[in-house]
Amino acid sequence: MEILAKIAFTLYALIILGGGLVAVTSANLVRALVGLIVTFFGVAGLYLLLNTPFLAFMQILIYVGAICVLVFFAIMLSRTGEEAATIPVKRRLYALLAGLAPAIGLALIIVNHPNVSKALPEEVPLPALGVGLLDQYSLSFELISMVLLVAMSGAVLLTWERKTKK
Amino acid sequence: MSALTLYQLVALLLLGIGLYGIIQRRTLVGMLIAVELMLNGAGLSIVAAAQLTEANATLGQLGALLVMGLAAAEATLVLAIIVVVSRRFGTAEVRALSTLKE
Repeated sequence: MEILAKIAFTLYALIILGGGLVAVTSANLVRALVGLIVTFFGVAGLYLLLNTPFLAFMQILIYVGAICVLVFFAIMLSRTGEEAATIPVKRRLYALLAGLAPAIGLALIIVNHPNVSKALPEEVPLPALGVGLLDQYSLSFELISMVLLVAMSGAVLLTWERKTKK
Repeated sequence: MSALTLYQLVALLLLGIGLYGIIQRRTLVGMLIAVELMLNGAGLSIVAAAQLTEANATLGQLGALLVMGLAAAEATLVLAIIVVVSRRFGTAEVRALSTLKE
């Protein structure tokens, strides 16, 4: 069973790597969005491996179901299906440096100072999550609903077209 | 390497790819995609740290849910901003957005 978990982890990590690379390098933004969706599914697989099936389903529901549709609307409403294909090599190089520098720095810290890790992930029953949301962490639960309400009304207000032209 | 280290390295991979994308992209939509990648890496890191150590696992999962909610709110606002920008400038390329007010 240990080997199966390792194989699954490698598979999901490769899915994340491939999807992420498509998402940032593809000139066509719709293709980049498909890469993003593939990455989300890979991360959902990792959530399943971490013994958190609820989060895996929330990942698919919220990210793939809601955020990707929003990004698709953004692509269609701004009429920018294509990025300029010729990005200068210098710009790519700088971007690569800026992405690699923090990642490698943090990776060195993680590898050199390994934390004590459990062999098996903890199992949290779903009722415990619900009780936590309504009991101990109810303030953050209310706050996130406030943030979502404010974001929604802000979006409506920003895109509102006043009918001043008569 | 322990399991936690491997999960954190995958989260770091997502962070690195996202940073590369947000600098290299020229349109606001491409940048939004890169930001979503980074937020996903943050959620994965939180859940891995909570599930594989002695930390409170319930708190970790609820924190990751909070990150997902914030990502949804952020995507909504960025969509509205992109619509306003493309209406005013005719494009969503960042290079066009050099004027604050005309």
